[in-house]
Amino acid sequence: MAVEALSPPVGQPPDPDYQMGLDLMAFQQKQRRILSIKIAVVWLVLLGFVISFLLFIEFDFAYVVENAWFIIKEGAKWTIIISVVSIFFATILALLGALGRLSKNSIALGISGFYVSLFRGTPLLIQIYVIYLGLPQVGKSLALLGASLGLPFLSTVGDWFILTPIQSGVLALSLNYGAYMTEIFRAGLQSIHHGQNEAAVSLGLSRWQTIRRVILPQAVRIIIPDIGNQFIAMQKDSSLVSIMGVWELTYMANRMARKDIKFMEMFLLAAAAYWVLTIISSWLEGLLEKRLSHAYER
Amino acid sequence: MPMNAKPLIQVENLHKWFGMLHVLRGVSFTVQTREVLVLIGRSGSGKSTMLRCVNFLEEPSAGTIQVGDVVVGCNPGVQPDDKDILAVRLQTGMVFQEFNLFPHMTVIQNVIEGLTTVKKMPKDKAVALGEKYLAKVGLLEKRDVFPIRLSGGQKQRVAIARSLAMEPKVMLFDEPTSALDPELIGEVLDVIRELAYEGMSMIIVTHEMGFAQDVGDRVMYLENGIIVEEGLPPEMFKDPKDPRTKNFLEPIKKYHTL
Repeated sequence: MAVEALSPPVGQPPDPDYQMGLDLMAFQQKQRRILSIKIAVVWLVLLGFVISFLLFIEFDFAYVVENAWFIIKEGAKWTIIISVVSIFFATILALLGALGRLSKNSIALGISGFYVSLFRGTPLLIQIYVIYLGLPQVGKSLALLGASLGLPFLSTVGDWFILTPIQSGVLALSLNYGAYMTEIFRAGLQSIHHGQNEAAVSLGLSRWQTIRRVILPQAVRIIIPDIGNQFIAMQKDSSLVSIMGVWELTYMANRMARKDIKFMEMFLLAAAAYWVLTIISSWLEGLLEKRLSHAYER
Repeated sequence: MPMNAKPLIQVENLHKWFGMLHVLRGVSFTVQTREVLVLIGRSGSGKSTMLRCVNFLEEPSAGTIQVGDVVVGCNPGVQPDDKDILAVRLQTGMVFQEFNLFPHMTVIQNVIEGLTTVKKMPKDKAVALGEKYLAKVGLLEKRDVFPIRLSGGQKQRVAIARSLAMEPKVMLFDEPTSALDPELIGEVLDVIRELAYEGMSMIIVTHEMGFAQDVGDRVMYLENGIIVEEGLPPEMFKDPKDPRTKNFLEPIKKYHTL
C-alpha cells in the first residue's frame, strides 16, 4: 500500500535509491491530479451546453427556484419513504426466494421459480394496476361469498385486498424487485467457494447454520453493489406510483407543470432531484461496501 | 495394541459413483485408536474421495461406515440420517488442501465457530479452549487478525487448530501441504507430526513420501478405486510387493531418499 511504501522498512539498511521511489510516487500522483482536473473541465463544458440550451428555450429559472422547495420537500419525502420500505421488503423476499431456488424441496423450488418467472416477466406498471385496481375485485367477491354463506368475517378479509395507493406501490415494487434480487442473492450465495460449505459442515454446522454464519455474510459483501444498483433503479421506478396519485416527486412535478404550463421547468427539477437522490445513495452504498470489506484488507 | 480392540473407524465395502464413474470399487479398511493411516496414490485414484466419505462430505453410494460408536449403512437411493452424519462429523476433524478458513472471521472466531454454534459452548469457555489450541499450533499472537493477513502455512495451522478445538477422536487430512509454497510445508508437517506423537488418530492423504514414512503407522496405496497394497511404511516404500505400487513409487524413489 502507498502508505507503507513511504516509510523505509524497519530493521533493514536504508535503500540508497529511496528518493527514486518518492519521485515516482509524486509523479504518479501529479498525473492523477491532472486527469481529474481535465475531467472536471469536460463536465463544466457539458453543463455549459445544458445551461445555454435552457437559456435558448427561455427556461424560467425564477419559477423553478420559487417552487423547488415545496416539490422537493413533499415529493422527495414520499419517494424516499416508498423506495426505502420497498427495498427492505424486496431484500427479505429475495433472500427467501434465493433460499428456495437453492433448496432441494419441490415446494420451495416450485414457488420460488414461479415467483421469479411471473414478476420478472411482467411489466411493473401492470403489476401496480393489478394490485391497486384489480385486487379490490377479490375483496368484492369474498364479501359476496361471505354474505351468501353467512360468514361475515370473509367481508373483513375482503377489505384487506383494497389497498391504498402507497400500500399498492410498496407491494408492487417489493414483489417486482424481490424477483430480480432473488437472482442476485442466488448468484451471490453460489459464488462462495464450496470449500467454505465443506469446512462449515465438517465442524458440524447444519445446512441452515452454514448459510447463516458462513455463506450469507460473505455473499452479502459481494452483492452489496448489486443491491445498491437495484435501490437506485427502484428510486427511479417509484415514479410509476404517481399514476395512483401518490404525492411523490413525479406526481408533484407533473401537477405543477400542468397547472402553470411549465413542463421543462418542473420535469427537469424532478429529474435533478432524482439524480441527487441516486448520487447520495451510491455514496452511501460505497461507505457500506468499504465497511464490509474490512476483513479483506491486507 | 490388542488385536481384539474395536477399531475406531471401520469402513466396509465402500462404493462411490460420480455419475457413471465408479471412483471407489468396494474398499474396506480400519483405523485403530492412536493409529496414523497414510493414503498414497495418483491423482484420481480415489484416495481423497475415500477420506471424504468417512465424514460424509461425499455421500457414499454404498457401504458401511463406522466411526466410534456410530454405524451408518449406505445404500443406493437411501439418504443417511442427518443425526448420524452429525454424530460422525463431531468425532472427526477435517483439514483441507485449500485451508478453507472463514475469511470474514478473525482467527479466534474461526477456531471457536464450531464450539459456540454447534456445541453451544459459552463464549468465554470457547475462547479459552480456542486459545489453548492456537497456542498449540504456535499462533496465539495472531488471534485477532483476519485470515487474509496470514501466510499459507499459518492459515493451515489455524485450520488445524479449528478442527482440534472440537476435540475430535480422529483427524482427517486431505493433502494438507499441497497448496503451500515449499518453504512453508515444514511448519505444517511439524504440527501434524507432533499430533501423531501425542497419539492422535489420523488418516492422512499426502504426496509427501518422506513425511508419510516418518509419521505413518500404516500406508495404503490406492489405484482406480481399489486398495492395491497396504503395509508398514519402511517395508512398503523400500520393497513394494505389487507391481502397480512399484510403478508408482519407482519414479518418486529416484528423486527422493526414502
